[in-house]
Amino acid sequence: MPLISEQHFRSVENLVFEWARAIDENRVEAICELLVPQGRYTVTSRFNSDRGLPMAIIDCHSAAQLRDRIKSMRLANVYEPQHYRHLISGVQIVAAEHGLLEVRSNFVVVRTLELDGDIKLFASGQCQDRVDISQGEPRFVQRRFIYDSRAVETLMIIPL
Amino acid sequence: MSPVVGLRPWPTQGFTRVPYWVYSDPQVYALEQARIFQGRSWHYLGLEAEVPEPGCYKTTYIGEQSVLLTRAEDGSLHAMLNRCAHRGNMVCREAFGQTKKLYCVYHAWSYKLNGELSHAAFQHGLRGEGGLPTDFKLAEHGLRQLRVATLCGLVFASFSAEVEPLEDWLGEVASGIRRVLHKPLKVLGYDTQRIHANWKAYHENPRDSYHANILHTFYGTFGLSRQSQESGMVLDQHGRHVYFFTKAGTEKTSADYQATASNLRSHNDALSLEDPSILKWQDEFGDGVSVQILTAYPSFVLHQIANSLATRQLLPKGPGQCDLVWTYFGFADDDEATTRRRLAQANLAGSAGLISVEDAAVCEMMHRAISDGASGESFIEMGGRELDSGGASKLSERAIRNFWHNYRQDMGL
Repeated sequence: MPLISEQHFRSVENLVFEWARAIDENRVEAICELLVPQGRYTVTSRFNSDRGLPMAIIDCHSAAQLRDRIKSMRLANVYEPQHYRHLISGVQIVAAEHGLLEVRSNFVVVRTLELDGDIKLFASGQCQDRVDISQGEPRFVQRRFIYDSRAVETLMIIPL
Repeated sequence: MSPVVGLRPWPTQGFTRVPYWVYSDPQVYALEQARIFQGRSWHYLGLEAEVPEPGCYKTTYIGEQSVLLTRAEDGSLHAMLNRCAHRGNMVCREAFGQTKKLYCVYHAWSYKLNGELSHAAFQHGLRGEGGLPTDFKLAEHGLRQLRVATLCGLVFASFSAEVEPLEDWLGEVASGIRRVLHKPLKVLGYDTQRIHANWKAYHENPRDSYHANILHTFYGTFGLSRQSQESGMVLDQHGRHVYFFTKAGTEKTSADYQATASNLRSHNDALSLEDPSILKWQDEFGDGVSVQILTAYPSFVLHQIANSLATRQLLPKGPGQCDLVWTYFGFADDDEATTRRRLAQANLAGSAGLISVEDAAVCEMMHRAISDGASGESFIEMGGRELDSGGASKLSERAIRNFWHNYRQDMGL
């Protein structure tokens, strides 16, 4: 693996944090700008991933599909008002090739329900990302969230 | 069924009213385990494709009982309690596996794949000391066996020796299974949704054709299922099971539909998709049906939503919680494009489903509004007050009235 500069590392780490902060601040639409137009955004369970099963509970093949999902969340779907808080650790660049960086990080998402203030650890897991640094500002070519539990509490309407 | 002592009486109107205490009372919950989940019903365990070879097993549940599904050396399927006959330890701890024998780690009792006990460690003691009584017979200490039956690759089991054969039990509704599952299956993945509501609140939901085109904006807005489209409902002769279907692209508009639709939040003109490829579906069964939702009493759903195919297994986890286990699949001979389409449309259902995410939300909101357990009852008269009133119209709660009719019979309530 070629040497990863400190600057690359900082900009990748910042990209990962930007995604999380946009969601936590309820600017969810902004994450679509962090994915290249033909990028892939996937949320799947470790249970499926470990078994090589391709089905994912969220699988967007483009930034447009991710925008559609967020639009549906805003306009169509019914759910209890809720917020996320992402805790992210262990951001690492594990490989680099042709201007693409393979990035890993851990996430924990705490979900708070607005009505009665219920607060719960909602998801934990690993992100397996591919980041393009060849076009100036780094952007995700692939974001793959693998959550550890096979079960989802109630529903996942806000993207991770 | 003997009447239950100590419970309040059911409302005099019968199956058009459901007292809210049945969704939260712990005594009712315990009775359901005995009289429904271990009673005269068939329960979905999984797909034959999940245990494809001899030695394959799957661990699952019927009600709260841990159950094993195995395939023996001769290819036969077996279902049994996943509980050692010795001291009750769980025999298999993996969701899926392949093994030559079923081995309890606690005291090394081991069982054949059909559940018969083959060995108990130190049965004869050691150097003349210890050991099981001399009249101990291996044959009397196998894992508790359940009846097993299959239909089109689905595996069901029952604790009951009396319940009629599976296909008779499903009756006319079996035709909805045969329509979809017409060749060997291939699993695409799983999704477990943990719902904080009583299991019956969820069971009623896919039986409820009245809500489908009202609550679910995504359905109506994109035309996959609308009340104005050709549709219908089929129940078995006892009303235990039901399936609904809708044919996209068969709009029959009318003045009264237009008047109602303008008030539905499910027709949302502001919602158009930038990338509608997710909605492109193929009429793979050649009958124009875009959505078919089939519910078998008390804990099974099979859905076809466009080209997304899945089973849902409902597992009660106490009076106020249930797990809904979704198993997505395609056919073994699907080409890559077909598999891609099924995976894309898996976005429509499940824990993060663009269409169905509402269902769990509604179950939980309902649970919180009724779970004082002391007062109130529902009103279930859409389509009429009789078991058969409402006919084949989806604008009817006929299938829900029939559920409660069967439930009360099984429970003695």
